[in-house]
Amino acid sequence: MRPLARSLIRPYVCPSCRSGRLPVRRQFASDAQVTPEIYDVVCVGGGPAGLGLLAALRASPATSKLKVALIETQDLQKARAWNLDSQHFSNRVSSLTPSSVSFLQKIGAWDHVDQDRAQQYQEMQVWDGETGSRISFDWSMETSPFEDLRTVATMTENSNLVRALLSRISASGDENISIFSNTTVSSIENGADLPDGPDLSAWPILSLSPTGTAPSQGPSRIAARLLVGADGINSPVRRFADISTDGWDYNRNGVVATLSLAEQDPVPFPLGTKTAYQRFLPSLGGPVALLPLPNNHATLVWSTTAENAAYLKSLSPKSFIAMVNAAFRLGMPDLKYMMAMERPTSSDVDDQHESELSWRLQHTPPSSPQPPLVTGVQEGSVAAFPLRFRHASTYVSPRVALVGDAAHVIHPLAGQGLNLGMGDVASLARTLDYAVTHGMDVGDILTLERYAAERYTTNAKIGGACDMLHKLYNVPGQGPIAWGRSLGLEVIERLPFVKGLLMRQAEG
Amino acid sequence: MATLRPTLRALPKSRPLLLPRHPQRAHSTVSANELSHFSALASSWWDPQGPSRVLHLMNPLRHEFIESCLLQGTPPATSTDPTEKGTGTANTLKYLDIGCGGGIFAESLARTINPTSSAATHTRAASITALDPSPTLIQIARDHARTDPIVAEHLRSGTFSYKNCTLEDHVASFSSSQSLSTSSPSSPTSATPLNTVTPQYDIVTLFEVIEHIDNTSPTSNPTTFLTDCLRLVRPGGWLIGSTIARSLTSYLINQVIAEAPWPVGVVPRGTHDWAKFVNPDELEGWVQEALMRGADRGVTVRGGASALGEGMRWCVNGVVYFPGVGWKMVGGSESWGNYFWAVRKGF
Repeated sequence: MRPLARSLIRPYVCPSCRSGRLPVRRQFASDAQVTPEIYDVVCVGGGPAGLGLLAALRASPATSKLKVALIETQDLQKARAWNLDSQHFSNRVSSLTPSSVSFLQKIGAWDHVDQDRAQQYQEMQVWDGETGSRISFDWSMETSPFEDLRTVATMTENSNLVRALLSRISASGDENISIFSNTTVSSIENGADLPDGPDLSAWPILSLSPTGTAPSQGPSRIAARLLVGADGINSPVRRFADISTDGWDYNRNGVVATLSLAEQDPVPFPLGTKTAYQRFLPSLGGPVALLPLPNNHATLVWSTTAENAAYLKSLSPKSFIAMVNAAFRLGMPDLKYMMAMERPTSSDVDDQHESELSWRLQHTPPSSPQPPLVTGVQEGSVAAFPLRFRHASTYVSPRVALVGDAAHVIHPLAGQGLNLGMGDVASLARTLDYAVTHGMDVGDILTLERYAAERYTTNAKIGGACDMLHKLYNVPGQGPIAWGRSLGLEVIERLPFVKGLLMRQAEG
Repeated sequence: MATLRPTLRALPKSRPLLLPRHPQRAHSTVSANELSHFSALASSWWDPQGPSRVLHLMNPLRHEFIESCLLQGTPPATSTDPTEKGTGTANTLKYLDIGCGGGIFAESLARTINPTSSAATHTRAASITALDPSPTLIQIARDHARTDPIVAEHLRSGTFSYKNCTLEDHVASFSSSQSLSTSSPSSPTSATPLNTVTPQYDIVTLFEVIEHIDNTSPTSNPTTFLTDCLRLVRPGGWLIGSTIARSLTSYLINQVIAEAPWPVGVVPRGTHDWAKFVNPDELEGWVQEALMRGADRGVTVRGGASALGEGMRWCVNGVVYFPGVGWKMVGGSESWGNYFWAVRKGF
């Protein structure tokens, strides 16, 4: 009799791989009858989500007995050795919510994060550049003066987090774990029903090959009881599992940079309070945000049109700094004008943007949130990446689960992307722990559906809210939508309990 | 909120038509239509979205209930098997699953067997034997076990085995050939000597079985069936099961709603016979009687409750299915719906 599970499994090989990989497949056909090395969990992708999952599985007594593997194209040795001095910061920084931090603490990874490079902030100023209406997320209103200020989020460089997760995983020992660095997955296929062994016909079998010139390490074919796709927006695992994904491109770019700031004036009270600033710029295509880093540095995330992003990237450091300062201070028409200024052709007119800014500032009433002045931009830190929305039609399929960007990509305006990934990983690790302690197969759909049920709606809600905010704050001018959104912000601002509720939601 | 009865396990039953290699016995405990009903469901047994879905969802709670029983006590380590004592592992319990069907519980238990681990697992299982009278279901169970290399390895090494036989056959395999013990409950002392029906298991499980036992015959009824089950339990071990109480709620939910046509119903029509449902107090009575009958067979015949020995325990815990959420343990709900029950055999 045909085992039922076989009929449930969808083909793991996408059409393009089938056509492109024919010679490779033939080569594997010869050893199809050889039992591949069997793993309980195989995670493709060694970013924060994949490493977070591995660290979480290693941290729990039940799941630490699972035999796990991680496959990463990049050289993880470089990630382990990552180091920067205290005045330089990577431009890939994430805002970790308290629930992400407490997950990282629970799995013992937070101790490995270099705390001198992480920056908490307690307040968040958000305002509409078109109407001036504002909302400030200030925890100090909600806590008694004897308590520590509540943290809205903690800014952490992704490299700092990845290094911490790697060292947490190393600290868990090398039993039952294989890390295949510098390795790509060349194909994923269903296994075979071995007459003298197990029936692996519904199991994904991965063929591994070394990237570049790196020597091959370990077996080239491995079987996965559970294959986890933590392999990003173009997830090969998702394609192999034939899971469709829905979404759109925002036609916006996120411009990031590491900035240094002037001393804050007045000195914040209580001392050490840090604030994040975000100003919506409807006429320029999205919000600009300044998020604090240690030692009076900050990271910039400016969501804007691709043309504006290209313009900003092409500016000299001085002009770039002037544009960032302008973005937090000037009115929309002034900003639009400056964004269209001729790019300086020679260095002697390099201060064109600067002088334009100082002249226009004299004619602009000071807005109430006053972020500190940007005084410098770290060399080579200005970069742009396209903003997209993606949501997979499902996170699970028999013996396959998707986490992080492989499952969903959202607009960065609320800084929730990495936090959703951490939430996925925490949930999947919890699900697998439940499975192991209840005799369930960790790759069985009955196990995995618990994870999907826990995460799908949550992620869809947050992704949808960010999308809605993006669309709402892309309507320029003073029309009814602008009044409506300012009304919304003002109402929230005036009703403390509503704001508290919203902030707790944002906290995760 | 509902007390859905999932699809069930086929019951120990010998039918010459289906089981030519087993002789039919007059005292078989289930009717033929129960067996054919569940054999017909075989092809969808492991379909997570199929008619057995509600049963699959209940399986993790069986592990939790077993764990709660083990916390109350386990049989003392076997003196007859010194090899196990020396290994230093806490996982020494031998399981028997009666009416395993397609192997939903048996396979999940086999997955917890870890011969290399010295740390106690939640089931503390060392081995499991699973019985079902339906050859179709046993074949389904064996085929499915091969899809998990760990379980397949346990099957190969013998720590896990499926037996296509009835409970009566299994008991007989431990008895001397002339004493077909349960055939004459009217003369319970007709003496199978204790040493020929040695209790073999620390934990015997009986999930969704008892309500399918034929209760019309004086020679084959739930009490004779439970007597056989309990005789296989080592002193200090547990007989653990689940069933449904016979209440108005369970009638409406199991007979009217759950077996309604799709999309309302979730279990196939004919899965349950409400009249065979068992209330916890009835079950407790049967178990007590079965324990005394079992004790009467022993060399030391004692009377009354003292025959049950020290350490005997009876536990029940209600469980409720909430659509969209799943099964939850709900204390007190045992009198009107699904419930787990367990009896610990005295020393």
